[in-house]
Amino acid sequence: MQPRPLVLKILDFASVIVLAVATYLALVFAPTEAVMGQVQRVFYFHIGTAWVGLLGFIIAALAGILYLVTKDARWDRFEVAAVEVSTLFFFITIVLGAIWARPAWNTWWTWDPRLTTAAITELIYIAYFMLRQGIEDPERRARFGAVYTLLGGISAPITFMVIRLFRTIHPVVVGSQSAAAQGGFSMTSDMKTAFFFALFAFTVIFIDMMWHRIRLGNLEDKVEQLKLKVSM
Amino acid sequence: MTNIKSIKAEGGLTEEAHPSFFKATLAIIQKDLSAEFRSFELISAMLVFSLLVIIIFNFALELDVKVRQSVTSGVLWTTFAFAGTLGLNRSMSVEKDRGCMDGLLLAPVDRSVIYFGKAISNLIFMLVVEAVVLPVYSLLYNVNLFRLDLIGVILLGSIGYAAVGTLLSTMSAQTRTREVLLPILLFPVVMPVLLASVKASNGLLTGAEFSEVLTPLNLLIVYDVIFIAIAFMVFDHVVEE
Amino acid sequence: MYLETIPDTSAYMIGGYAFAFIVMGIYVFSMYLRNSNLKRDAETLETLQAEEAKKSGTKKNKS
Repeated sequence: MQPRPLVLKILDFASVIVLAVATYLALVFAPTEAVMGQVQRVFYFHIGTAWVGLLGFIIAALAGILYLVTKDARWDRFEVAAVEVSTLFFFITIVLGAIWARPAWNTWWTWDPRLTTAAITELIYIAYFMLRQGIEDPERRARFGAVYTLLGGISAPITFMVIRLFRTIHPVVVGSQSAAAQGGFSMTSDMKTAFFFALFAFTVIFIDMMWHRIRLGNLEDKVEQLKLKVSM
Repeated sequence: MTNIKSIKAEGGLTEEAHPSFFKATLAIIQKDLSAEFRSFELISAMLVFSLLVIIIFNFALELDVKVRQSVTSGVLWTTFAFAGTLGLNRSMSVEKDRGCMDGLLLAPVDRSVIYFGKAISNLIFMLVVEAVVLPVYSLLYNVNLFRLDLIGVILLGSIGYAAVGTLLSTMSAQTRTREVLLPILLFPVVMPVLLASVKASNGLLTGAEFSEVLTPLNLLIVYDVIFIAIAFMVFDHVVEE
Repeated sequence: MYLETIPDTSAYMIGGYAFAFIVMGIYVFSMYLRNSNLKRDAETLETLQAEEAKKSGTKKNKS
């Protein structure tokens, strides 16, 4: 395996820096929210990870289509990397959301459209890995994986649209009467800075992690090929 | 493999050697239906299972008269979803076991014919089961489910379910874990169908305004169209040998 | 003007951030582990491959 190219080394370094800066902005620079207190700060990472989780989801579906069209294994490795990294970040999103919800709405979970769609999306990702694990042949694994990312990628947004219709039936979460209970708070300009920087930081981190994961995938592929050659 | 066209040119084979899309699909449906109506093993299993699920729901949820109204559509669709999984699994594993799948793949027809044939057979099995479950539920819980609009929603929902389910069962049948994997793959992806169908059915049963029913209904139709199209385009990649 | 005190939810915040960092850290570490394992496997396999090539090379010479 080739050593890390210079760009990747720089990107690794940059990722650490932006993560540190984003953390500082979120924990120190941004003002404390008046109604919920400190817990609101998780919002910055919550949105940052949600953004890359969704981005990865879309990238995976596109990579799937490209694999089916070109049958180039590189797109398959790209797709696996996207799904794996996104699953991770989306998991963080969901947990941070629950941590935020607990003091704000007095409940760990609520079946509102975004949270529910997030849970279903995460389950689609997990199902994706279970599907791949059950297939021996790498070519079939790639084909089926691509088909599933496509199916998942299109059904998740539709799920979101449908769940939004349910809001009129299900009661709003019981909680305090403050604005926080309805989930809203207006952002000051400092908060906006932390918010947008978090989006930027996580995008950088996402690209960095994907690159590493793709390199890992290339190495996996190489080892599999070697195994085949040696056993012959 | 000899060229079919050349054989035709020699007058060796009739038009049946290269059947039209429609005829080929019909042939597959006929095969599945006649096999099923001889033994009834698939439909009877789905039926008994559905009735058991409804009984379990009776104890799991206190279905008193007030609650029943709001919960009926959820109970019905959960039942259909689970029974549907049974049917899809069995339908596909039977193909593999009897070696029919290989035969179908060798046939001189477009691969999508296999998809449409299987999907429609699976749909028909689901509809037969639903046709029995609806009256039984109506009797057991004194709810009138014999409405054309409700049947329409159930039909649209079943179409979406069968369309995606057939594609995914074809995939899961080729994995190591086989039947176990189908619900895991299917349910997250078919969620819009279940949600929209429940919402629309619920709206109809509780007498909501038509606009409240129309929106989920539209989404359901959109889903059906999109996913039938996707399955049609992608099925080739799922049955390559 | 009467101001309500801001509730102290910092425990949740710390928990949240700790969770995020720990999970990301675990993932990076897992990639590192997988990478080193695979590198080791690749080296082993390459050595095996070289040995096999030598064996078949010497066999060819003998015959």
